[in-house]
Amino acid sequence: MYPSIEIIEAEPAADLRLLESLADWCDRYTPLVALDGVDGLFLDISGCAHLFGGEKALLDDLLARLFQQGFDARAGLASTAGAAWAAARFSSGSGILPEGQEKRFMEPLPLSALRLDPGVRAGLESVGLRSVGSIMAASRAPLVRRFGAVLLVRLDQALGRIEEAISPRLPVASLSVERHFAEPIVLIEDIERLVLMLSAGLKRDLERRGEGARTLELCLFRVDGAVSRVAVSASMPIREPRLIGKLFHERLAALETSIEVGYGFDLVRLSAFSTTLFETEQGDLTGETASNDEDIALFADRVRARLGRNTLLKPMLVESHLPERAASLLPFDEMRPKRVEPSRSDRKNLPASCNSFPERPLRLFIRPEPIHVPMTEVPEGAPPHFHWRRALHRVARAEGPERIAPEWWRQENNAETRDYFRVEDSNGHRYWLYREGLYGVPGSNPPRWYMQGFSA
Amino acid sequence: MATSALAQETVFALRRKIAKIEGRLAEHLGEVEEDATGEALLRRHGLVRRERGFLATGAERFDAALGGGLPEAALTEVHGPATRDAAAAAGFALAVMSVSLGPVAAPMLWIGTSEVFREAGFPYAPGMLSLYNIDTAELMVAQTPKLADALWIAEEAARLKGFSAVLLEIRGNPSHLDLATTRRLHFRAREAGRPVFLLRQAARPEPTAAPVRLVVSSAPSGLRRTFSGPLAGSIGPPGFTIAISKNRTSPPTQFTLEWNPHEHSFKERRAENPVPMVPVSQHGTHIAQKTGTVLAFRPEELAAGHQPPGEELPVHRRLG
Repeated sequence: MYPSIEIIEAEPAADLRLLESLADWCDRYTPLVALDGVDGLFLDISGCAHLFGGEKALLDDLLARLFQQGFDARAGLASTAGAAWAAARFSSGSGILPEGQEKRFMEPLPLSALRLDPGVRAGLESVGLRSVGSIMAASRAPLVRRFGAVLLVRLDQALGRIEEAISPRLPVASLSVERHFAEPIVLIEDIERLVLMLSAGLKRDLERRGEGARTLELCLFRVDGAVSRVAVSASMPIREPRLIGKLFHERLAALETSIEVGYGFDLVRLSAFSTTLFETEQGDLTGETASNDEDIALFADRVRARLGRNTLLKPMLVESHLPERAASLLPFDEMRPKRVEPSRSDRKNLPASCNSFPERPLRLFIRPEPIHVPMTEVPEGAPPHFHWRRALHRVARAEGPERIAPEWWRQENNAETRDYFRVEDSNGHRYWLYREGLYGVPGSNPPRWYMQGFSA
Repeated sequence: MATSALAQETVFALRRKIAKIEGRLAEHLGEVEEDATGEALLRRHGLVRRERGFLATGAERFDAALGGGLPEAALTEVHGPATRDAAAAAGFALAVMSVSLGPVAAPMLWIGTSEVFREAGFPYAPGMLSLYNIDTAELMVAQTPKLADALWIAEEAARLKGFSAVLLEIRGNPSHLDLATTRRLHFRAREAGRPVFLLRQAARPEPTAAPVRLVVSSAPSGLRRTFSGPLAGSIGPPGFTIAISKNRTSPPTQFTLEWNPHEHSFKERRAENPVPMVPVSQHGTHIAQKTGTVLAFRPEELAAGHQPPGEELPVHRRLG
């Protein structure tokens, strides 16, 4: 009938993504932004309106910018979320509802202004209650009995008799510093310089609280509505602009290709998400402090900002008999204060027998490599030679076996007993091999040999 | 008079220019000159100035050959000729650090690419504790997929005083690692006053800015010592064959050192004294005679004729 009509299938998921990106963009007005259904957003602008020159100015700015982006949006502003929701949909004027006018505004509106389920609404209409005012006039108890508590909760929320909290999409930063630009900034260098300026503002607030930031986020609001977020984390609480600038320098260098500058950013915000107590340390007269922890913490943060969290690792001893589980490498996240330990020289004086660790190799294959053992002593003995990585190794000396049983309390019973051997080949290379399984057990698989590690 | 003043002005102009190139103040250039004379002295007398520290291994002849030990504030290259020697190269560097670390323990940073750690194994904390008494709190490991990132980490870490040592492990001869890179590492180590070890697996020697290059490979270990003399067939203190392939004080030489994990010391390998410390018992039962061991053959191996040669297995010969 209409051959020129263009048909596009509905894509609810894409719509939701668009709404979420709009919510991100609305972050520029307030940190408390919540999604409302599939077509709306709630912005809690308590305490934010004055930053934009009042409520009306904020609303006009918001609508103008959305219009420039190509959205047809309607907005309502009221003291309660319910009234604002109704104002956005049913108000004929500017959409701004003065405080205390909720009741008079809501009275003539139809029931759909109350955010009710269609079933409840149809039920109310079937008994002749067609406007909000008629519900306000009716007695409450029969309504609750017949239509459930939700109806009156919605009404009370709209009129401000009970509080309604919106649940923001994103965590709210404890401190934020931002700067608007008339002319968008484009260069990464400018952004880095800006970070220094913003963090100088952040430092003042952090100092007043006696805190330092552990997680920081830089929000870049692009002119056309896209928002880029760049987060860094610190091992120790920081507040020096120089240090914050260094972290963001590394992070931005790593992200350079993934941040699309486009027409530039017109709002840049630096937020501190988690803050902890900042312990100040007395430096000596040359301005140096005794410990080098800060150096290492900053170094670790920069590495993490640039190369990711799993780059810098810290070994941790785990109580386990299995060699590959006995030491695990965890990402280095936090600079822990040094424990008071016996000094190194004391430890050295201890006899070696105090060192309860058995002899272990220096380097370990986390996934043991299978080796080929053509022949060996039975039932338990080291092989006279073996093939590993396509080379034949002749065993000159061997020590063992050291039997390590599987951890039956952790895994199913199918793991086999391991017998470990320290062997040395004819050139002096020392290996740590093991045999999984036992010889001469009827009905079981033949034992397999593995290379677990090698040592100096 | 006039010419000398003119000459002096020229000298000052040149000095400023050099300072500008090197990126420091002209007044500080004097230190470099002093450094250069120090090096000249060093060559003339075969002695090393004592101001700069050394990491002494405790093996006298080895230390003397290096003029006092490994330089503390410098880059040191430690080569392992084959992948199998990676543990020996790293182990030697760790042992040197373990001997010379002071009572205040700062962490060490071991940097490697994923490939290095996959091929030669991950640093294993219990092993470092049992072999070198290096606590887990004193070790950090950095692993990156790309070599360029590993080099970046190393260069950033080398300028810190917070690390007691930086170990950078690299496999083969990548083009990223050239003379300029080693120069940067060396200068940063010199300024921070902390050693940087460049561990190289299966690499051929290249021009390097490091003042010392060692080639370390495993040597057969010593025997465990008991009261009745060395215990035959045991694997005791690990041995290192160390060839000094580049240094400033002595011609290339080779040493065999033995690391004693219990005493925490290096010593040069000497012939073992065969006399037992206590007399073997005269009347009681002696240690049982060795019997032949039972060997299991896989049937398919026998069929394929992959039997090892007889001289490898005296037991086998006896049985046959």
